Parts: sequence; C-alpha cells; structure tokens
Amino acid sequence: MSFGYLAALAISITGMVVLDARFHLFFWRDARRAAIVLVAGVLFFLAWDVVGITQGVFFRGETPFMTGVLVGPELPLEEVFFLTLLCYLTMNFYGAFTRRAWLARRAEAEA
Amino acid sequence: MTYWLINAVFLGIVAVVAIASLASRRSPRWRAVGLAAIPLLLMTAVFDNIMIGVGLVAYDPTLISGVFIGIAPIEDFTYAVAAVVLLPALWTLLPPSRTSSPRTSSSSSSSRRAHSPHDSPRKGVESGQVDGKRDGGAAW
Repeated sequence: MSFGYLAALAISITGMVVLDARFHLFFWRDARRAAIVLVAGVLFFLAWDVVGITQGVFFRGETPFMTGVLVGPELPLEEVFFLTLLCYLTMNFYGAFTRRAWLARRAEAEA
Repeated sequence: MTYWLINAVFLGIVAVVAIASLASRRSPRWRAVGLAAIPLLLMTAVFDNIMIGVGLVAYDPTLISGVFIGIAPIEDFTYAVAAVVLLPALWTLLPPSRTSSPRTSSSSSSSRRAHSPHDSPRKGVESGQVDGKRDGGAAW
C-alpha cells in the first residue's frame, strides 16, 4: 500500500486551486456554478469508468503506487481524484482562454 | 462492448449538452474550447503514457482498437475531448450567480468604506484607494 499516486494527485489539485485563486479561473469566478460543473463532470466520468470496467475494457493495474482502497469493483479511490483533477484542469484552461473577455465584462459591470 | 462503442454513447451525451447550449444561445466560446483542447490532449498523451507505464491501469487488448499514442490507447483521448466540450458547455448553460464568489482583493468593500463616517479623518488615504481600485482591476 502506497500513497504515492494519491499524493501526486492531491499536490496537482492544490496547484489547480492556487492558479484558480490567483487568476480567477473557475471557483474564484463563480463558486456556485463551478461546484455544479465539477461535481457533474466527476460523476459523468465515473459513470463512464464504471461502464468500461463492467464491460471489461479496462481494469486496475498491478502497481505498488496505489492505496488499494476501492470505491467500486476495480475502481480505485485515486480515480475520483484523477477525474477531479481532469475536470479542474479543463476548466482552468477554459477560464484562462476566456479571461480577457471576462475581465472586460467585469470592468464594465463595475464601472 | 468495445471501448469505442462505450465512448460513442458518452460522446452522445456530450453532444446533447453542446447542442442544448447552442440552441439556448448560451454556448461556450468555441475558440477558447479549441485552445484549451491543445494542452489538454498533450498532457493526456504524456500522463496517460506514464500512468499505463507504471501499471496504474491496464486494458483488454481484444476490446480496444489497437491504435496507440505511445502505449496509450487512442480511445483514452476521448475523455479529454469530452471534458473540454462538456464542462464549458455546462458552465455557460448554467445561469451566472448574482454575487460572484470568493474575491481576494475587495475593491467594492473598500469603496463602500470610503462613505463610512469612521473613515472621514483619513480622507486623503481613501481617495488614494479609489484610484488604486482601477489599477488593481487592470492588474488581474
């Protein structure tokens, strides 16, 4: 049992939060909407995973880097964190590429 | 059921949400979606190869297409494509909150403070803050 992969994911998610806070990309732009999008995204990809696992397409590999804690058959705890990171990363990128327009709109609203 | 067949089903759901955002004239900025897709796909290529390489996940070779980017099945990239369309479409479909979220610098509260009677002795400082507000906004 190892926390290596889980720790790497937690550090990466922390990085996403720091960038979000600094540049107002996702939760720091609209926390309520971000929470809905993130939860919906993670649930959507978990469902996708579950179908893939039940159909036998992919499964947990033999690795010393995971805790071994499962949240479902062949579904490691780490996958929930991985999907959270994927969704957060996606929306931070989208936030970064829409940032100029968002800043302009906000400046207009505050003027 | 092959990996591609499963992906087709979930991409169908993504398409429904994307079409809903188009139909309601609340679609995301597609240019930003396209730009975000580039680093996401590159990072998927790098990290998926690492994850498979160290044995975090394995695949049934009879259920995947056999097309790989390195050792990553091409089907895995569907997750990144789905994320970059689905999540921004959901984001723009949802109505914006009236009060937007945690803010580090509270420019609005400092301008409100300027009208507070307690602050009148520091009038010069307050007017400096009001000027600073504009600069602070532009710096973000």
